[in-house]
Amino acid sequence: MISIFGSLSLSLGLGMAAICITLFSIFLKNNKYRFFIAGSRAAVVVSVLSILATIVLLNELLVSNFDVNYVAHHTSLETPLLFKITALWAGQAGSLLFWLFILSIYTLIVIFQYRNSFTNLLPWVIFVMVIVQAFFLILVIFVENPFAPTIADFQVTNGNGLNPLLQNLTMAIHPPMLYLGYVGFTVPFAFAIAALITKDTGSVWIRSIRRWTLIAWLFQSAGVILGGWWAYHELGWGGYWAWDPVENASFMPWLTGTAFLHSIIIQEKKGMLRTWNMILILTTFILCIFGTFLTRSGIMSSVHSFAVSDLGPVFLGFIILILVFCITLILIRLPVLKANKKIESFTSRESGFLFNNMVFGLICFSVFWGTIFPVLSEAVKGEKITVGAPFFNQVNIPIGLILLFLTGVGPLLVWRRTSKKALIRNFSAPILSGIIVFIICFSLGIRNTTIISFPLIGFVTAAIIIEFQRGVKSRVTRFNESFINALLTLISKNRSRYGGYIVHLGIVFMFIGFSGKAFDSETEFAIKRGESKEFDGYNFELVSITPEERPNHIAWIANLNVWNLNRELITTVFPEKRIYFHRHPNPDKRQPHSELDIYSTFNKDIYTIFSGVDMEKEIAYLKIMINPLVWWVWFGGYVLIFGTLIALWNPKEKS
Amino acid sequence: MNPDKENPGMVRFLSLTEINSIDQSERVRLGGLVSPGTIQVSENNLLDCNFRLKQGELTVLVQFTGTRPDLFKDEAEVIVEGNYLNGIFKADQLQTKCASRYEGDLKDESIYTAESV
Repeated sequence: MISIFGSLSLSLGLGMAAICITLFSIFLKNNKYRFFIAGSRAAVVVSVLSILATIVLLNELLVSNFDVNYVAHHTSLETPLLFKITALWAGQAGSLLFWLFILSIYTLIVIFQYRNSFTNLLPWVIFVMVIVQAFFLILVIFVENPFAPTIADFQVTNGNGLNPLLQNLTMAIHPPMLYLGYVGFTVPFAFAIAALITKDTGSVWIRSIRRWTLIAWLFQSAGVILGGWWAYHELGWGGYWAWDPVENASFMPWLTGTAFLHSIIIQEKKGMLRTWNMILILTTFILCIFGTFLTRSGIMSSVHSFAVSDLGPVFLGFIILILVFCITLILIRLPVLKANKKIESFTSRESGFLFNNMVFGLICFSVFWGTIFPVLSEAVKGEKITVGAPFFNQVNIPIGLILLFLTGVGPLLVWRRTSKKALIRNFSAPILSGIIVFIICFSLGIRNTTIISFPLIGFVTAAIIIEFQRGVKSRVTRFNESFINALLTLISKNRSRYGGYIVHLGIVFMFIGFSGKAFDSETEFAIKRGESKEFDGYNFELVSITPEERPNHIAWIANLNVWNLNRELITTVFPEKRIYFHRHPNPDKRQPHSELDIYSTFNKDIYTIFSGVDMEKEIAYLKIMINPLVWWVWFGGYVLIFGTLIALWNPKEKS
Repeated sequence: MNPDKENPGMVRFLSLTEINSIDQSERVRLGGLVSPGTIQVSENNLLDCNFRLKQGELTVLVQFTGTRPDLFKDEAEVIVEGNYLNGIFKADQLQTKCASRYEGDLKDESIYTAESV
């Protein structure tokens, strides 16, 4: 019954959005302030109604109202409370409403935060955001309505429940993080459009959206990393990144967003790259919409895609509309965007940033191409082709290494022109570190890609340490501070700069983890209780297989001792084979699931999967992977988030 | 669904009507349904299995050794990758189309008796 209020809120919201758009159109034409006030209020109402609708759906999920189709499909009476909440974004219609919900919160914050500033830009900013809201309102009202009633001529007494793969805490936070990121880029996008329309393309809009971009970027990064974490800990193929279309979809706006965060520094300091920055942020937003489209339209066969739906054409239409609008707008404004300065030297910080941007662009393009190629190939040649991980790895490993190199080089370069003397002074220690690491790797007999990546990691780490050391040293001599004090003051006085360097350090750590992949090994074997098998320097001993019945599944738990070759016990792992809903009378509803177990240390992970069990013979079928250095990927992720938080902390910093 | 077994990066996705005309050395992908009742798991090694992959009326025998995905069962939608040799498709990759969400049909609960649940 109460779900009618949800539908009603959405319909009213759409009506209000139409009124709001009209009011703003009038204001932007005749410039009468009362229309702006009325328009802003209408935008507040649109947002509040959208939030209200989301709360209604959440309520229906919590009280298990199976008359609502969405509730019946994604939850059941047994679903734990936490996953009744996360079911809000577990399915198609709900996740679109969730998009709208976050956008509405952002819209309210923008209206409130800037109520007394940016009087020139703000009307256009709100205008753009309401148009995006209207688009999502149309989607949830006409195409995928989360409040649609259950179509069944029988009483639904219990729902479907949530996929066990998704009943996991990481999976509960991964989508909201990504959404906060995706949707967050709407704000800088709206500011960019506003700046273009009002010809106010200088540094005002750039400064106002730097923090917004950084916030969106932080959530996007966290979302992407959590997705990898979830895949690694739940999916059980031993990796964290498969270049799946939807992973790529979340990675592409991250790439352009990262490029943007770098190149706006040049615009802030030098007034250059205005057009380029516009293109970057507009592209980032379009890629966010494109990402949502890839996930929701079912156009790609991917782990993430939902059932094929009617969303495709609507989304595609919207994307093309934005694309045409943005390109036209940029072309019209080209004269205003022209920079008055040129890059003076190849060895300058400016050119470092420029290379950085080119590399990000290149990675983004290759990922984009690999992602849409199968679709294009089928559409144009009628031939189905799949582009797998090897393609992406072959293309992106070399480009990624160049990017890593630039991470070290950029900060060592000086604005405008780096003198020969400075070049030698800044680069000698990092290069020396790189050479030392190279010699160590070479003498250890390493001959794969990591003979390049590890020295580069050494080079960049040294470069970052030197940046900190130089700053600290000058404070110590100038203000006679202690080392720790000098370090803390240095960071707190230049938060965005040193926060940025900490982010770089996080990226370097992640590259250590990526490099570990070159040393992965895996095996599969059948093992009888009491037996042990040797693999890659370890002995795996199957102590027991214990069946255990739990509320919604039965589990066979393998008790596996891991010994090293000196007969020292390293660890005991307990991978499980489970069957969910094992008592369900319909065998189709019973679902096997392998709950893996990982023994993780900073130098390697022992990753165990229980593939199959033969209880009569007491045989377990196991898949074992030894994955070196994966720990560093997650550690790097924490460092990256920490660094971003420092950069975000309190905008009032001394320049 | 380990995506990085030796694989040239781009692989053609074929239908069963085209399978006889290809070079035996070419890695290809096939998609279809697991023909019901055809899954046979070796008694000696539970990791060895074969089944018939069905595309409409056509079927092909698929051999696979390794960990099978959790969702692999009769009528499951699968994608296999490997080589077609002498009438048998030797797959080294077997993926099920992951129902990453429950989008199944709702069934009338009354047909299940209380004691069997």
